[in-house]
Amino acid sequence: MSTTTHIVDDDPAVRDALQWLLRSRGVQSQTWASATDFLAFANHDLCGCLLLDVRMPGMSGIELFDRLRDLHCRLPVIFLTGHGDVPMAVQALKDGAFDFIEKPYDDNALVDKVLAAIDQDTRRAVRENSILCLEQKLTTLTQREQEVMQRILAGKLNKVIADELGIAMRTVEVHRSRIFEKMKVRSAVELSQVLGILGDKPKD
Amino acid sequence: MGSTTTAVSGERINRWHWLWILPRLAFILFVGGVALLLWMSDRADKEEQRATLISDILWLEQNLRFHLARNEELLGRIDVAHTSDAKAFESFARTMFGFESGLRQLIWLDSDGAVKLAHPAITNSGLAGETGEAIPSQQSYRLAHSLGKPVYSKPYPYFMNDWQFEVHVPVSREGRIAGVAVGVYRIRDLLGDSVPWWLAERYRISIIEDSGKVLVSRSKVESTVTEEGYQVGFDPPGSGLSLHAVPYHAPRPLASLLLSGSLVILAMIVLWSLWILRRHVLRRQAVEEQLRQEHAFRKAMEDSLDTGMRARNLEGEIIYVNPAFCRMVGWSATELIGRRPPMPYWADDILDETRALSDSVLAGEGPEVGFELKLKHRNGNAIDVLIHEAPLIDARGQHFGWMGSLVDITERKQADERARQQQDRLQSTARLVAMGEMASSIAHELNQPLAAISSYCTGAANLLRNQTPANEVLPALDKAVEQARRAGQVIRRIYSLARHGEDRFELLRLEERIDDALALMEADLRQNGIRVTVDLQAKVLIEGDPVLLEQALFNLFRNAVESMRDTGPDQRQIGITLACADRYALLTIADRGCGIAADVADKLFDPLFTTKVEGMGMGLAICRSVVENHRGRLSFEANPGGGTVFHILLPLVPVAPQ
Repeated sequence: MSTTTHIVDDDPAVRDALQWLLRSRGVQSQTWASATDFLAFANHDLCGCLLLDVRMPGMSGIELFDRLRDLHCRLPVIFLTGHGDVPMAVQALKDGAFDFIEKPYDDNALVDKVLAAIDQDTRRAVRENSILCLEQKLTTLTQREQEVMQRILAGKLNKVIADELGIAMRTVEVHRSRIFEKMKVRSAVELSQVLGILGDKPKD
Repeated sequence: MGSTTTAVSGERINRWHWLWILPRLAFILFVGGVALLLWMSDRADKEEQRATLISDILWLEQNLRFHLARNEELLGRIDVAHTSDAKAFESFARTMFGFESGLRQLIWLDSDGAVKLAHPAITNSGLAGETGEAIPSQQSYRLAHSLGKPVYSKPYPYFMNDWQFEVHVPVSREGRIAGVAVGVYRIRDLLGDSVPWWLAERYRISIIEDSGKVLVSRSKVESTVTEEGYQVGFDPPGSGLSLHAVPYHAPRPLASLLLSGSLVILAMIVLWSLWILRRHVLRRQAVEEQLRQEHAFRKAMEDSLDTGMRARNLEGEIIYVNPAFCRMVGWSATELIGRRPPMPYWADDILDETRALSDSVLAGEGPEVGFELKLKHRNGNAIDVLIHEAPLIDARGQHFGWMGSLVDITERKQADERARQQQDRLQSTARLVAMGEMASSIAHELNQPLAAISSYCTGAANLLRNQTPANEVLPALDKAVEQARRAGQVIRRIYSLARHGEDRFELLRLEERIDDALALMEADLRQNGIRVTVDLQAKVLIEGDPVLLEQALFNLFRNAVESMRDTGPDQRQIGITLACADRYALLTIADRGCGIAADVADKLFDPLFTTKVEGMGMGLAICRSVVENHRGRLSFEANPGGGTVFHILLPLVPVAPQ
């Protein structure tokens, strides 16, 4: 999965310098001259990190942050703040921003934060991706297969399952093998592990 | 207070009301006395008149009697010669008639009673015979003849309502009766002859028979007789005749008439004047009552006023104060009235100014509009008042004093002061905020290139550490240099913004800038009770920016004021001296404040250095910047008497050689 660091700053020099800095540590980045430009591009699939200047003409960084949350874009945001903007940034942190860094900043520390954010977001993306796959697999199961799967996860034997559902033991076995095949697992234990991720899935 | 006065005076009026009866009583007594006097004098007059009447009529009777007696005697002296023939008798008769004797006919009867001679001759006995008796009367003749004494006959009517009577006088010759001389009296003529004119004017004289029948009356005036007359017997000659006199209603004597008339008029005048007086007094009372009410009304109005009123005569002595004034200054009216300057309510610290102001008002040279003044309440609190003075003119148009109205504006002034301080704080806060905003904006402007430089350099360093070829690193360094240049430009722009440049310089008078800056400070100076002495030793013309210079001076003055927060009130003063030396103007500002500590002195002009809680540390920095911008110098030293002295040296405009 490719990750990109997006830099939103009205100052071209700062944008260019940040891009240069990130590239010197091997971080791919893309620059945006204004919040509106980025907002036009942004979607919820983005993965990576967002370096956002708080103070910009037109839409401010904080405003962009709010709008991104409305779009369910979960890109981690690192705010770049001036001296007077600290309280604003703290509030943004409470609202779910990844971090903020005050100008003038230690550049490599900034890159470290960017890397940490990318790492976190990558992991988030991977997890979300597997959950997505799992859900897709689950939808391929028939009604009967789902009933059988629930009983398998409850640890019941095929015989018991056959009794409960009023079907032949042989049929239960066929269902079981089809479930394993569809869910791409080899055993009941593995199935329960795979579905455990789903249970951890955040409610949102 | 007013109502009790009215009640007391009302009671007094009632108590003295009986006095009003006195003039009435006196008037009634006077009129009664006058009437009595008049009546008495009238009665006396009447009695006197009656006495006169009686004496007059007695005199008249006497006169008549005498008359008749004389005639008797004359008739008795008739002798032969007279009776011899008609001619002689006629002449005798004429003689007799000539004495106003009242006789109208003379008859000579012989001893037999026959008519011998008569003059005038008896022409018609029939006319006289109305009595039914012979003429002359035989009876009387016989009586006279026999008695030998004169006898009077009864009166008998005669022609034309007249009455006659006869007197028979026997004439004896040689001892025997020779004849009888008969004189015929006509009563009207008798009265006419014997009653004098003056009597006839006063009385109506009549001769009355005993039956009461009026035979003849004589009067000169035709007038009705009203009063009772007086009657006297007229017996011996007349048989049963009496004389009756009635006084005419004689006109009263003019004097008495005038007297009584004038008395009546006088009485009426007195009555009229009493009535007028009463009406006048009543009107006066009504006016007094009105006046009292008016006075009470005015007093109530004055008492209810919030405005203090204070009247002074031309010498400045207080002659009136109203309660509001008393409340304002805390002194009672009795304590204040009669006081002369200096007044107890004058503020101690501005006593001389107050006295000068008071004197100018008394001299009529006071401010035409109201003026503000600080006074002192009895409890020591300062009060600010707005005073209007107006001349007091009495009823004759004479100017006799000054009336002042005082409005307490202490609270208003305090409110103004608070509002001003609030305003000051707001402005200072706004300045701080604006400055903070500007600083923040400057910081952002500078941060951008600095951040970019930092990023380029860090990136370059990262690459170099990874043995990246130098030609790949170079562009970053070039960009960093570019950003450093950009930062320098930002700084230069800010600097040029702060500097006004010299294009606004103009010729100006430094003393005017001082005045303007002091005017801006005026409220602060007054509030802190700071005296300012300005010593202008020279007029100074310099070249400069008036706004900047004023700002610099204002900052210095404000520092001076603020440094004297803890100085005693009587010590608070700022001394300003402006002098010229060589080609420089030297302005000195000396305060008596806390002075400048040695460790502070070095940093005094540094920007952002401040000893004040709310200060920004820009004031003196601006001052120095402005002064230096004007090619001058700003320095300071400790004031030997405590405090600080700031010196400003500014170049004078070079004077073109004459």
